[in-house]
Amino acid sequence: MTVHDVKHAASDSARLEAVGGRLSRVDGPAKITGAARYAVEQQLEGLAHAVLVDSTIAAGKVVSIETQAAKAARGVIAVLTPDTIMKLSVASDWFGNPLAPQRTFCPLARDVTYCGQHIAVVIAETFEQAVSAAALVMADYDQAPALVELGDGTAGEIISIEGMTKEWGNAQAALAEAPVHLSAVYNTQRSAHAAIEPHGLIARWEGDRLTIWEPSQWLDGMARTYAEWFGIPFENVRLVSPYIGGGFGSKALALAHSAVAAAAAKMLGRPVKLMLTRSQNFTSYGGRATTRQTIDLGADKAGRIQSIIHRGVSEVSLEGMWVEAVGSITSIMYDTPNFSSRQDVVRLNTVLPNPKRAPGENPSAFGIECAIDELAHELGLDPLEIRLINYAEQDPHAKKAWSTRQLREAFAVGAEAFGWAKRSPAPRSMRAGHQLIGWGVAAGAYPVQRAHGEAVVKIMFDGSVEVESSSIDMGQGTYTILAQTAAETLGVPVSQVSVKLGDSHFARAGVTGGSRLAGIMTGAVHKAASQALDELIGLALSDPRLPFHGLQANTLAVKDGRIGSPRGDGPELSIAELMSMLGRDRIEAKGDTLPAGTTAEERYKNYTTIAMSIPHTEGDYSRHSWCAHFVEVKVDEDFGTVRVSRVVSALDSGRLYNPKLAESQWKGGIIMGIGEALLEEGIVDRRHGRTVNSNFADYMLPTNADIPDIQTISVGIPDPHSSALGGKGVGELGIVGVAPAIANAVFHATGKRVRDLPITLEKLI
Amino acid sequence: MTSHIQTIIDPPEDGHFRNGVATDGLIPSPTTLSLNLAINGRDHALDVEPRVTLLDALRERLHLTGTKKGCDQGQCGACTVHVDGERVLACLTLAALVDGRTITTIEGLADEDGTLHAVQAAFLEQDAFQCGYCTPGQIMSAVACIREGHAGSDDEIREYMAGNLCRCGAYPNIVAAVRQAAQELR
Repeated sequence: MTVHDVKHAASDSARLEAVGGRLSRVDGPAKITGAARYAVEQQLEGLAHAVLVDSTIAAGKVVSIETQAAKAARGVIAVLTPDTIMKLSVASDWFGNPLAPQRTFCPLARDVTYCGQHIAVVIAETFEQAVSAAALVMADYDQAPALVELGDGTAGEIISIEGMTKEWGNAQAALAEAPVHLSAVYNTQRSAHAAIEPHGLIARWEGDRLTIWEPSQWLDGMARTYAEWFGIPFENVRLVSPYIGGGFGSKALALAHSAVAAAAAKMLGRPVKLMLTRSQNFTSYGGRATTRQTIDLGADKAGRIQSIIHRGVSEVSLEGMWVEAVGSITSIMYDTPNFSSRQDVVRLNTVLPNPKRAPGENPSAFGIECAIDELAHELGLDPLEIRLINYAEQDPHAKKAWSTRQLREAFAVGAEAFGWAKRSPAPRSMRAGHQLIGWGVAAGAYPVQRAHGEAVVKIMFDGSVEVESSSIDMGQGTYTILAQTAAETLGVPVSQVSVKLGDSHFARAGVTGGSRLAGIMTGAVHKAASQALDELIGLALSDPRLPFHGLQANTLAVKDGRIGSPRGDGPELSIAELMSMLGRDRIEAKGDTLPAGTTAEERYKNYTTIAMSIPHTEGDYSRHSWCAHFVEVKVDEDFGTVRVSRVVSALDSGRLYNPKLAESQWKGGIIMGIGEALLEEGIVDRRHGRTVNSNFADYMLPTNADIPDIQTISVGIPDPHSSALGGKGVGELGIVGVAPAIANAVFHATGKRVRDLPITLEKLI
Repeated sequence: MTSHIQTIIDPPEDGHFRNGVATDGLIPSPTTLSLNLAINGRDHALDVEPRVTLLDALRERLHLTGTKKGCDQGQCGACTVHVDGERVLACLTLAALVDGRTITTIEGLADEDGTLHAVQAAFLEQDAFQCGYCTPGQIMSAVACIREGHAGSDDEIREYMAGNLCRCGAYPNIVAAVRQAAQELR
């Protein structure tokens, strides 16, 4: 009813349709005509509208909430507060660990730990009535002191994340002995996911069964959370999310507002719709955490790194835990005999930060990729040359071979396309009129994250094929690449395949994050489709009524939707004819990528938690995607304004299932990186802990006018150690290394080293 | 400004606000207005409160959800529709103000037989979207941008499409799509 079901025009050639072909999005026609119905756009009878009231202080207690005026307003059905909303059970975390089973979870806060925390909700017959009445709710607080900014990372409760410590050799001694030293502090700012589709949901109860329409990057994980909150079986929750209007890491978890809407729907006995306002999308869930990192680098006079000492800290909320792991790729970019990296977090009165596109890797790259550029300048080396001098031939930390690492190729191909050889080495030596021109380079990496998935493939009586999975498409192209995979495996045109995603009652899938979905799901669909094909051919060979009866196995194949001898010299039937003669209305196969003997409990854990993710250094190899960005900036000499005027990026994501869509994702990552480098910064009012710029006029996303031509070049080769079909990650990779490439270009243009993002004009004049 | 705020606050049924909210001079919000909106070549009779935006009228009352709500404050462009052929932000337009005027939304852009508008076809071909949420607004803006004569160069397209935010970062492909459609429509 709500799932996507668009078939592709039959005119696309087989070359486009094969895995690896540049097929246009199969969900495209629905999206460009307005027919694609996103989760919160479902139309339900009796829908009530909820609007949240948020705390205006960052720390303290809600003493009282005045609700009389709101309750008396026209159209208002209920006003719920911490006293009156139903209490839920505490759900386990995303590893599946129970947190506090003895306690209850109140989705509206009495104890305030950050500004913007939800303290009340107004439910009314119309959206306008709910908005109006919510303005009448008044709260009195007993305010407490709050710590709202990371500062230099030394105030507040500091927690060492011991599990992230990486050490080898003797970093301190080697640093002391090294003839060349560099020590610098690199800061990255709080930034927002800012998906254009706001967070929100519709919740509907039917007895003890709950249906949630909500944009989601993880249907099964969020369904588990709802089930645990309300103490109902997992199977009783159905999460529907046919399209997701952007996620970037923010839509993987059920959040407090989700609980409020579901609780209100249960209490009122009618479906409730709740959409966060744009402002609430900046304050109700966290973006990328603010980070600070210190890098001490020792090298010999030829530029060979002898030691790296790295200390990082990121902000986190008073409750919950999220570490923005700024040392995540510091250890793998360059070969060094001595290394030390540690990570702390500091608890602040802020909403819990979330993973945002390349969490950890992105700020990590800003540190190490600026530091090596600084070292190159100090030694008079070309920034590209110093990266090759220190090229890591194996994973320096895991001491394992790379599965594939096309980074040297990325440097070479990118430099050639960019024209790097024409770079004048000295800062401030290239200009056009009053514009200083700078060329910068930086590399990036993202680990190959793996888990398991399952898919159902159905060959229908009419020869059409259906693919079902509870995985999702938020723009990466899942619908399209799964259609390509099923079509290629079964030997049918893509026009005969419909892919249905975004319903937790379909075959299960884990979280869509960490660039893991494509590798997992193409593997699962390939397996399910192979099983369905084997069954179809087996039936064709064994049925005495059919012309294929008695032929040897391996003598039949399906091509262009017709079954027959691969040599084309025998009888041939369409799949529809074959199904009719077999008297079957469907052949259905469920395929998964789990090892044989996996228990039901392990399966549940695999899909509803991240506890069964496979380490990227499992076995004999270290698996990562790699990239090199070449950036040109133009800096106005008088005003310090920075414009990115050209980007060439060479990227190794292994085999691409659909280059057209992969290039779009890479470019999207690069553009988000331009935003974090130059424009975006979540600013907090130090007195009240309020997010000052919680809207799109004051929090600046890149616009079309900020973005130049971007050239992306694939340098990947199939990586059999990373996925069934040879792909590595795409979506997270593109952003990694963009900010340091821009910072390095700005240094080249101006001679000023900015180590504090975003690079705004006041830092340059 | 003050009177504007007053009109959007519902008075309680006993006529008295609490919590120190001033009631003096409060204008009770009118009940409903009867409108006739001509959307995509069809007339829609609609009874709504004066404070209902065109965007919420489309999405919540008429179930035309192709027009998207991204910010509800005129900053993202996802709700762009055409009123009498010009692009406007439906979230900043009261439904009552477009009574009797001609409105086109993304659902009305293709031909009756399903043939895509040149801009729609170019968006598909150039992969000018990913998640698709800003896309209806981008396409409606692009159609107007070309019609306005503001698609003469890539830089001009970038400037005149800068009011439509795309967080997936499809901008270079959007420029390519608008350029292609502008050439086809010339």
